[in-house]
Amino acid sequence: MDDFTCPRCRTSKFQNPSLKMMVNVCGHGLCESCVDLLFLKGSGSCPECKIPLRRNNFRVQLFEDATVEKEVDIRKRVLRDFNKKYEDFNSLREYNDYLEEVESIIYNLSNDIDVVNTNKKIEQYKKDNREQILKSKGKIGRDEYELEEVLELEKQMEEARKKEIHLEVLEAKKKKIREKEALIDELMFSNADAKNILDTFTQLAQQAKEEEVKKPPPKVTQFSTGIQFGRQPQSTFIPVPTDEGPLYSYKALDFPPDGPKPPTLRDILEKGFISHVRSETEQERAGGFKSNIACSRALQDAMMGLFYSKKSVV
Amino acid sequence: MFSTSTQCKYWMFSISNEDELSKLRDRANQKHIKNYGRQVNDAAKYEVFLTSEEEKIMVKRYELHLRDFCKRFQPPMPRYVIGTSFHYFKRFYINNSVMNYHPKEIMVTCIYLACKVEEFNVSIQQFVANIKGDREKATDIILNNELLLMEQLSFHLSIHNPFRPVEGLLIDIKTRGSLQDPERLRSGIEHFLERSLLTDVILLYSPSQVALAAVLHAASKLQENLDSYVTDILFGEDGRGKLEELIEAVRAIRSMVKMVDSVPDRNQQKILDKKLEKCRNPDNNPDSEIYKKRMQAMLDEDDDLFHAISAQNSSMDNSALNMSIASP
Repeated sequence: MDDFTCPRCRTSKFQNPSLKMMVNVCGHGLCESCVDLLFLKGSGSCPECKIPLRRNNFRVQLFEDATVEKEVDIRKRVLRDFNKKYEDFNSLREYNDYLEEVESIIYNLSNDIDVVNTNKKIEQYKKDNREQILKSKGKIGRDEYELEEVLELEKQMEEARKKEIHLEVLEAKKKKIREKEALIDELMFSNADAKNILDTFTQLAQQAKEEEVKKPPPKVTQFSTGIQFGRQPQSTFIPVPTDEGPLYSYKALDFPPDGPKPPTLRDILEKGFISHVRSETEQERAGGFKSNIACSRALQDAMMGLFYSKKSVV
Repeated sequence: MFSTSTQCKYWMFSISNEDELSKLRDRANQKHIKNYGRQVNDAAKYEVFLTSEEEKIMVKRYELHLRDFCKRFQPPMPRYVIGTSFHYFKRFYINNSVMNYHPKEIMVTCIYLACKVEEFNVSIQQFVANIKGDREKATDIILNNELLLMEQLSFHLSIHNPFRPVEGLLIDIKTRGSLQDPERLRSGIEHFLERSLLTDVILLYSPSQVALAAVLHAASKLQENLDSYVTDILFGEDGRGKLEELIEAVRAIRSMVKMVDSVPDRNQQKILDKKLEKCRNPDNNPDSEIYKKRMQAMLDEDDDLFHAISAQNSSMDNSALNMSIASP
């Protein structure tokens, strides 16, 4: 860490403990103040390799070796396009081949080998798999998902542990005070030998210390309300209820016309009945009420029951 | 479909069967007298109670009232609402006596119910705005009687009126008939149908028969002849055997409608009104003491029930929270 110096202003970590190294896509480091100075306008060129750089691409250097930073950067960029997941392949072998290819591209780029061809390759891939890339962008792979879950779990466990420790410390403090008070009370009011009393108390304290065994916090898999979180091993579906019994078969309704046969819907259109009724408005048609239906209803009503007589019904 | 309706099944009566309707009305009248006239001896019973004939006159008179009320109704009422109210009114007094339920009250209830059933949307406030006199009382009467009316109609609420069949016949005449400008018939038809509502034809003949009679009547008034249309085109081949019966029916309908006299006898009216006032069933008279007492009792009962329930609820609330609310 000590030889960590800005290549431009030669400030080292030793001289300025709050020195922050920044790095850009080319992998050459610069200290924060130099970045501020050089990229006042928002863009400029790297003082070492003269590559044009943009200011907002600078970020804090995480790794000591700037080339690692560069590699991470490139990896990020490449993986944004090469975002296929294991589920997208038919076999493990194909997936491994694909990973191999991605790795070689990243290696080539980060070590400046055959940059032009490799970039072409990436472009080609992008073109070929545009849809796939877009689709996978939103998808989180299973690995990532599990990772996230594990992280979440760890976080929770960490929190629980912290809480427990805090409680224990408090408890211990209280206990100590209580013991002390008890000891003093004993010494004040007891008629026994002071030395004996001290001995018994020290023994008790020893015992209590030994008893303290850390119990691991129980694993939490559900909220206090009982709702499970985390991924369940298998999502279950509620079985679709199936109707038992014989299938429904349609029987046409039988209307006793009790009068002359009214014209059918087709007759109404063909034989000119329709020309004597108001045609439906647009709204009525939208609702499914066509004028031939209204016409048919009127005609049916007119004809049905013409043969009616009470005697025939009784 | 008229032929599958409850109207066809339960509310059509036979004319030949020694006048089924009169029999039923007589029976309603007898039943009422039997139930409420025990202390009156047989010889004097018609001194006190209305005869079946007098009841009929009362009903007829209130049918005229019904028609006038509907005509004056604001907002204007479609005629199928009027037709439906007539049906309800007539059906009600087939099995009920005028002395038991006053036609004045049943009439407005019938119209109110018909408005609902025929989807002519008026609120009760709008409705009673058309009534002269105490509107609050009218509201109470209508709403109290509504369920009774429906019960007496056996909840057979859908009514087939002759108005749509008339439209159908006119379409058919325009399409297949040879009559010049069938629209001329309309005023005659409307007049005929309106008068037909005042008779019993709607309880005796199917709506299409009434409609056909109306069309034929209107045509004959204009010195037109539609007989060939009916015999050759409308009935055609398959209706040959039924033609005679239909002609008979149409003739009967026309003569019945012709017989309607729409001018009531004022003197007789007054006498009948007085008589009815005396023999009305006090149980169903909103002005009687018994009725008022009963309504009050029902209201009190409701109140008691309400108080009991609310008291129970509040005690439950308090106990559920496990604390009592100190009343200020």
